Amino acid sequence: MPETTARTSERPDKKLHKVGRRHHDYRLKPDGPAEWSRVRVPFTRRHWLKWRGVYNPRNLARERILADKMPLWWTLGLGGLVVVTPFLPNPMINVAAIFCMFAAINVLWTLIIGTAGIFSLATLAVVGMAGYAAAAANVYLGLPWPLMFLVGPLVGFAIGGILALPSTRLDGLYYALLTMGVAEICRIFVTQLRALAPMNGSINKVGSFIPEDWFLQREGLLLGFAGAFLLLLAALLVFRLVNSERLGLLLRAAKMSREDEAFSEACGIDFRRARLYVFLISSAALGVCGAFYAMYYRSISPSVFSLDQLLLLFAMMVIGGLGRSEGAVLGAAIVIVIDKGLIELGPLRIILIAAIMLLVTVFAHEGLTGARQQFRNFRNRKKGERRALRTEKGGEVMPEEATEIADKQEIYYRRFNKRLRDELKTFITPELIEEHRQAPLGRHSDTLERVLNFFRRGDMPDKYAILRVDGAWDRFRIMALSGERGAPPRVVDDKEYASLSEAYHAVFLLRVNDLLES
Amino acid sequence: MTDVRIFGYCDPLAARAGKPIDFMVSVEGTKEVEAQIVRLVHGDENPEGPGFVEEEVETDVPGVLTVRRQYTQLGSFASVDDGDGRLAAPGAFTLHAFFYATTPGKRRQTLLGSWSVNSSKGYGLGVNPDGHLEFWVGDGETVDHVTAEVALVPKVWHFVAATYDPATGAARLHQIGVVNRWNSHIGPVVPFDHDSHVSETLRVRPAVAGASFLIAGSHENNPTRGDFVSMIFNGKIDRCGLYDRVLERAEIEAMATGSVPDAGILAYWDTAQGYTDRGIGDVIVDTGPHGMNATGHNRPIRAMTGWNWRGREDSFRLDPTQYGGIAFHDDALIDCEWEPTVTWTPPEDIRSGVYALRLRAGGAEDHVPVIIRPAAPRARIAILMSTFTYLAYANEHLAFEAHTAQAITAHTPVLVPEDIEFKKLEEFGLSTYDHHSDGAGVCYSSWRRPIINMRPKYRMPGMTFPWALPADLSLIWWMDQSGYDYELLSDHDLHREGVEALRPYKAVINCTHPEYYSEEMMDATEDYLTGGGRLLYIGGNGYYWVTSLCDGDPACIEVRKLDVGSRAWQAEAGEGYLASTGERSGLWRSRGRAPQKIVGLGFTTEGMDESQPFERMPDSFHKRAAWIFEGIGETELIGDFGLAQGGAAGIELDRYELALGTPPHTLLVAASHGHSDNYPLVSEEITYAFPGRGGTQDPQVRGDMIYFTTPNNGAVFAAGSIAWSQALPCHGGDNSVGQIMRNVLDAFTRDGPLPGAAFVGEEKHWR
Repeated sequence: MPETTARTSERPDKKLHKVGRRHHDYRLKPDGPAEWSRVRVPFTRRHWLKWRGVYNPRNLARERILADKMPLWWTLGLGGLVVVTPFLPNPMINVAAIFCMFAAINVLWTLIIGTAGIFSLATLAVVGMAGYAAAAANVYLGLPWPLMFLVGPLVGFAIGGILALPSTRLDGLYYALLTMGVAEICRIFVTQLRALAPMNGSINKVGSFIPEDWFLQREGLLLGFAGAFLLLLAALLVFRLVNSERLGLLLRAAKMSREDEAFSEACGIDFRRARLYVFLISSAALGVCGAFYAMYYRSISPSVFSLDQLLLLFAMMVIGGLGRSEGAVLGAAIVIVIDKGLIELGPLRIILIAAIMLLVTVFAHEGLTGARQQFRNFRNRKKGERRALRTEKGGEVMPEEATEIADKQEIYYRRFNKRLRDELKTFITPELIEEHRQAPLGRHSDTLERVLNFFRRGDMPDKYAILRVDGAWDRFRIMALSGERGAPPRVVDDKEYASLSEAYHAVFLLRVNDLLES
Repeated sequence: MTDVRIFGYCDPLAARAGKPIDFMVSVEGTKEVEAQIVRLVHGDENPEGPGFVEEEVETDVPGVLTVRRQYTQLGSFASVDDGDGRLAAPGAFTLHAFFYATTPGKRRQTLLGSWSVNSSKGYGLGVNPDGHLEFWVGDGETVDHVTAEVALVPKVWHFVAATYDPATGAARLHQIGVVNRWNSHIGPVVPFDHDSHVSETLRVRPAVAGASFLIAGSHENNPTRGDFVSMIFNGKIDRCGLYDRVLERAEIEAMATGSVPDAGILAYWDTAQGYTDRGIGDVIVDTGPHGMNATGHNRPIRAMTGWNWRGREDSFRLDPTQYGGIAFHDDALIDCEWEPTVTWTPPEDIRSGVYALRLRAGGAEDHVPVIIRPAAPRARIAILMSTFTYLAYANEHLAFEAHTAQAITAHTPVLVPEDIEFKKLEEFGLSTYDHHSDGAGVCYSSWRRPIINMRPKYRMPGMTFPWALPADLSLIWWMDQSGYDYELLSDHDLHREGVEALRPYKAVINCTHPEYYSEEMMDATEDYLTGGGRLLYIGGNGYYWVTSLCDGDPACIEVRKLDVGSRAWQAEAGEGYLASTGERSGLWRSRGRAPQKIVGLGFTTEGMDESQPFERMPDSFHKRAAWIFEGIGETELIGDFGLAQGGAAGIELDRYELALGTPPHTLLVAASHGHSDNYPLVSEEITYAFPGRGGTQDPQVRGDMIYFTTPNNGAVFAAGSIAWSQALPCHGGDNSVGQIMRNVLDAFTRDGPLPGAAFVGEEKHWR
């Protein structure tokens, strides 16, 4: 077709590129006849890994792919930490332990902010108050250290309960300010306590799972790390149980209809209660972290309530990505390594953290862990833009578009119909339209017949039909069919025609219009 | 639309004076409707005719009926007669089946199981919403399942076995592809690995569902609707059953090749059992020790190729064991099973006619028509109402779903609000012109459901004029108007009674479109004509599809569209034989009985843009037939008017063709001319395809009018056009088409030789 090549050469961006790509990841090739015994996580109906069996549509080969690769990354990340830490110098073991602790706090905070959707900044206040209470119980009441793990969560639960009260009444920002205020009140309260005044508000010599003579020794550090690591694992388990089970699912369902919380309530989702539960569970777990904190350092000081600590925690969240556990952990790792690991950099490291935070907020919408999805979205957007430039609606299919069309005959139909339309467009003249107006039915000129045949053979969706309004003989309207069983036609416009011939002709004009616009 | 919706149907559709007729009515939006029996005289509201005419009839039917909403079970499935509850909690067991899924991934579908959706109790084997095979159990709280690794490839035969041991919770699911060169949509060259064997330990033990074992469905309940069956399987199921033990892998692999281990059979539904040369019924036979037969609901389709089909045997009559396939569809509907709202027994002396129960409430109106033949024949003329055709087109979706429909009819469909309402509901099943939701053609249609297009004023959206029953009323109106004494018969009467139904009448008139004919009806018509009967075939595209009535269910016809002809669908290879009779379906002409052999004419073209008049042909001046044209001018156009696109020759047209068996002494007395290219030559006439087969170029595109005599003073007058009867009501019924009808009817109803019968001498011409 000479016209087509001419048109192609007019648009230099219409070069046809080769498409196709090799696998870059490893794919299991399961053997159909072999029996596949699937093992479950004990006490659940879940499998350890989310395998998916698929046929690769390109060669129809059976493949077994991991639909969710996160467990792999978790195992690699946390496993690597466990393997490497014992070989690190002492200060770095300390850093690893602090990382685990803060990561645990962060993960629990993510439950509050992400899952429950409560913008609370009182996280460290809960940790601190629980830590103080546990330490005080140990130091002043002589409570043995294992029971601190009971006092911590109880206090956390209580404070969580108090903080939860206004959470459903106040909007995000006001609530955040309120919780910041609470943290500050806690700090001032502790520093002004007469009993603690000699120690500048600290409680020291707190009992711990680390024996006193191991304290700050390598054994003690390793034991501290082991404890912190277990704390992180426990926090992750809590996150998993809350976020991915009933409570999390309820809240996610409610979140989908945020605009109309009354709607989700009408559906039977008591999202307020679910949020409250998540908040209380997280606060109690943060209480455990508080007790652990006091034991790990064998002391606790008002600095735990300080704004800079809170902002550091906030930086972790922002860098890692809000609302996901991997973000909380990754953010903690980066910030802790810089803040505690590169201590010789001095104040520069705070600037470094700020710079990273700034970069991440400028370039990544969802933190580092959201970067992959963001990249995909970016690529899709670019793809859409380029495609809009390279292809015309209803025009020839480009190779990259063809990879997405399973029935290859559709691609030919697109080509054929495009060329047919181009030819038919040249037939549309005022005379032709007048010929149809005079006799919509019956024998027509060959040219009109060709145009009509093309219209009549069109696909069902959006094909025009005529409505006889209220069964009258002089009121006709134009509709478009859905092409889907059970889905009614839609009204095209509210124009009414006084005779069937006029309606037939009006449909013809609409179709001519569609043809010329295509 | 009004807020009131009225739907109804009656049983039987083809009734007899003095015998009761049940009317089933469902109404939304009100509790009471006005009821009135009327006789339908004219249906088409076209302003060029008499408009809608009905006569109210004094009956004992109450004037106000108390009504309610009645619900309809859509979809076909089979329920197992398990009186002893053996299948409710079978202990350790193995479920197995051969199956062919057509819409895996559409939604959850059940193959076999005793599963209650609402209570989550029982067990089931089926296809999950992702299109994977799945075996599931539920204890009323939680549901546990084992899923095959890979999604099912649609339209491919598989074998599945699921084993389960409640003692350990161990469950195994075996999926084995059994595609061969013939049986599936794709062949062995496609590199799919269909097999998957998964074992898992389930945490949940199944509770007793308290509902019967179903093939292709599960039990569900809705507070307003009550119990119904959902999760219906789309596709075919072949031999299937249960064992009361866990089968070994080797046994299962052997089963996939067709062997059946004896030990521990609880039930074995041998779907290939029960075939005779004359077809197969609805009962799926359990050849196991307990004889728990399964019964189909909404008519699962038998006589379908099975997993082991090898193509050489292209009918179940050659080897039933290759025809174990039973097709299930989630939108099949044979019987609404509504409770009768009112029963009317027309008195024995009631005038034969098309009656209807007219229901009115809140501005909504519905007519539920019923065709009443006399208690005993008395008149000299019978009109044969095409009840098979009415069923074949019942609730057709062409204008809404067939993308070629506008190309066939040549215009844009015209809808009325009730069309839109009806199609939104999608509750009352399909016609033999439609496809099931999985794309398979619809081969059954029954009168036990509301039929929107079998009502007096209805116009087919795609064609914008009435079709079938509402069109046939134009003939009734004209017969009344012209003062003829006639009685009605239906296809169903003719099928049941054969020639005896016709014999009492001097003349029989076909309606506009007697397209669907059973062998019994063909035979009866032939026997009537050879016995001196006189037939007016004044329709188009008659005697066309090989059709049958389902055994034991006169409400339901079966047809399989096959190979050639104007067909809305095409039966799959090997599935062209009727399950109800064992006959090869498709066109009668493909079986040596072209319509030309009986009535001299056969289908040649169709188009819906405009109709043309008939013009006299030279044979109409032969004295053998000239009497037909008494009162018609030599060059007068016959029927240049009509309610069906303005002419007496149009819509579907038939042609004289010696090569197809038109009797050699037939006179071609008139023919139509000037059809547009929207009237193409029909596909069964086309061997080599070449351009120019439309009305403007092909001389075979026309409608013919013929006359020939049969033994014993019998005769056939045929005007092969659907539009013929719809031209009759124009000009007050007094017109050229009516003139010819009167000439023919007056002659046909007289005893003795026909006029013109004497003019058989050799013509000696001076001109």
